[in-house]
Amino acid sequence: MLERPIESYQSVATWAGGLHQQWGGDPFAEDPAKLQTLAAFCDFIAKDPDALVAFCFLRKRATGERFASKQRRDELMPKLKEFEEAGGRGVEARRRRSHVVSFLSHNGVLIY
Amino acid sequence: MEFTEVIGIRRSIRFFDPDRPVEREKVQKILEAMRLGSCAMNAQWLRAVVVYRDQLSPETFEKLKLPVAGVIMELAPVHIYCYGDLSVIAKDHGARPKQLIDIGALAPSHGWTHRFVDEFVWPQLLEPLTQSPHYPVAMAFDNGGCATQGVLMAYEEGLGACWTAFNTEVAKEAFGIPDDWVPHYLLNLGYPAESREAGGQRPRPPFEELYFEGHASKPFRRDEAVVEELRQRKMIQAPAPLPNRQQELRELARRLGLPE
Repeated sequence: MLERPIESYQSVATWAGGLHQQWGGDPFAEDPAKLQTLAAFCDFIAKDPDALVAFCFLRKRATGERFASKQRRDELMPKLKEFEEAGGRGVEARRRRSHVVSFLSHNGVLIY
Repeated sequence: MEFTEVIGIRRSIRFFDPDRPVEREKVQKILEAMRLGSCAMNAQWLRAVVVYRDQLSPETFEKLKLPVAGVIMELAPVHIYCYGDLSVIAKDHGARPKQLIDIGALAPSHGWTHRFVDEFVWPQLLEPLTQSPHYPVAMAFDNGGCATQGVLMAYEEGLGACWTAFNTEVAKEAFGIPDDWVPHYLLNLGYPAESREAGGQRPRPPFEELYFEGHASKPFRRDEAVVEELRQRKMIQAPAPLPNRQQELRELARRLGLPE
């Protein structure tokens, strides 16, 4: 369970800002399933939203430069698939996965 | 559709109707168009493996996908994996230019004889080419031209297409690709789920920054009358973004269950 309201996490604010910039409106008011699904995924992998984004990045030992880690992405993808399949099959299950993918991509992480 | 309109309507389609199969005869027409493309020495380096998405095992399919390409590959019912066969010239020993002489495509008026191929073209041009680091580049240029004819045929047939990268190691094993074949790209094919305009014609750098006349510092001056003629003939179309494109993208994402 998250320690505080999901909207209070920086990465969730970044997601909201990205969705608003792309589509306008109030994305979470229009589609509450987005936040509900992200919260469910956070429970599923036992990480809060900010920790989930941070997990996807590493820093180069030599320079300290931050980069999106393929290894971390590969670790995350099976978990995302498992989460999707727990929602059944078809477009609805896919949408469940897509809310998480949307959250990650608006935070600069590409999961496919 | 007129030739000019086919060029005009071609743009990368990234939203396919995932459940609408592509007729096999349309796939064949695309391959037939590729086969007729221009190719140096009539070498015909292009190789293509047609794969039906739904016939791939889930494990193989997951491994074939790369970032960005993954969604496109999932939506496209047909994949055409394109390669260049580097072994062609070495196996051929100048037989294809001789064939062009025999059929009258190459003539003595331009210096082409069987003896010229034996004495010069094979030993001094073609054989050294196979050892040159420029060989794959030259091959890829021709294969791109041939493959583009197939892409245009796809649009002529009412389909959409999008080139993507793919996991070449996985494909090599899954599709039995010979060692001599160099991977190019994957052509994703299907019926567009988005409008054929797909948001409008994509932006291009200014014409005069790309093309030159006589000297690389002298831009080829664009004649607006020609532009207007091509507009009338639907080759130059309304530029992106068209009104309501964002709405279309959102509806597509929701209909197909894709991320927003």
